[in-house]
Amino acid sequence: MTQTGWVPVALSKMIEPGTSAGVVAEGAEIVVWRDTSGTAHAWEDRCPHRGMKMSFGFVRGDHIACLYHGWEYDESGTCQYIPAHPDLEVPKSICVARYGVAESGGMIWAHLPLGSEPAAASELPVMEGLRSLYLDAPLADVIAALGAERTGSMIAIEHAGVALRIGVQAVSERRSALHITLPEGTPDSAKPMLLDWCEALRRQVEAREAVA
Amino acid sequence: MILHNYDLFEDCYRVRLLASCTNQALELVNVDAFPGAEEKSPAYLELNPLGRLPILQDGDLTLRDLSAILIYLAEKDSEQRFLPKDPAARARMFDWLGFACRDLALAAEARAVALLDAPGDVASLRAKVRELFRVLDDHLTRQALKGEGFVAGATPSLADLALFPAFALSRDFNLDHDEFPQLRLWARRMRQIEGFITMPGIPDYH
Ligand code: FES
Repeated sequence: MTQTGWVPVALSKMIEPGTSAGVVAEGAEIVVWRDTSGTAHAWEDRCPHRGMKMSFGFVRGDHIACLYHGWEYDESGTCQYIPAHPDLEVPKSICVARYGVAESGGMIWAHLPLGSEPAAASELPVMEGLRSLYLDAPLADVIAALGAERTGSMIAIEHAGVALRIGVQAVSERRSALHITLPEGTPDSAKPMLLDWCEALRRQVEAREAVA
Repeated sequence: MILHNYDLFEDCYRVRLLASCTNQALELVNVDAFPGAEEKSPAYLELNPLGRLPILQDGDLTLRDLSAILIYLAEKDSEQRFLPKDPAARARMFDWLGFACRDLALAAEARAVALLDAPGDVASLRAKVRELFRVLDDHLTRQALKGEGFVAGATPSLADLALFPAFALSRDFNLDHDEFPQLRLWARRMRQIEGFITMPGIPDYH
């Protein structure tokens, strides 16, 4: 079961303006970053210079710079600046490959596979991110443990009276991520219990994998 | 105060980081730990028969246990800014200091195997450290719910400073940060502490 189309890769609130993070979806390494004006980007996590991970680098305004030799890329993925040759007019052909990116329902979504033409992302209701949960288990097993139907990359279940919306991400064949969101206005008193539930779910699913 | 130091050991960095954030001057004596193993030379074994760094000397006081060194420096800070006053808050802080100095010693070990030719199985060490990072990420997720951005409260403590190097250096032994979103945000806040310094392997940006 390969995951294609819009795949959630992070909770919106965990990628603050001016930061970047590496994520993996279906084995593809992706850098998710947010520029200082708040726009999210999802690119192949690979610097065209020597192939180092862009997610190790840092955001400067609306550019992201590679950690290794400081090559800087603008929001279109085009290299704009090479510190070793500050006077060089950088050839426009030096580009990082970009994923289609969307932000909806409290999550950042990337359109898989790389190079696919993104369809319009569905408008999900505004949700509050609780946490992302990473599990050492295939996505199908995680979904089975949740005992819920999946609609695209979303699962809706109710726990302790809270209507959870969960974005599901196949990290690799053996690892998955759940991006767990709550309706806005969920009382704070309900949240510790929901975190207990998350940790228990991870323990339960991984214990089963260990036996299998 | 004299710190017998090796720049690439994360435990030495822990001491330098705390000294810098508390505005205390350290006189560094650089030891040829790798490849020289000078900390195991007869002269150094007299200072610390365990053959380890860091060693802190202050007058006729010689300390060689990491947590003893860190607590001493935090107490000597004129403002004691990294030691919570309230007994429960302080106890909670010490709980995480223990996690940093004892449990996460595995991270220093993994890194020494990966980078400094120490004997050991890096894959099994990495798996154990990953479990520990999960514990810390889960805890910081709960702290965030309470509106507290650090392990023992709303402000950084000695425990946070002691924990930071293990996470910041984990890529040295191939443990990436992808699965620990809450730790990423916390590490970013740590970088904003006044006096924050880096070491080789921890990029200096922001
Ligand atoms: S690898 Fe990115 S700038 Fe050299």
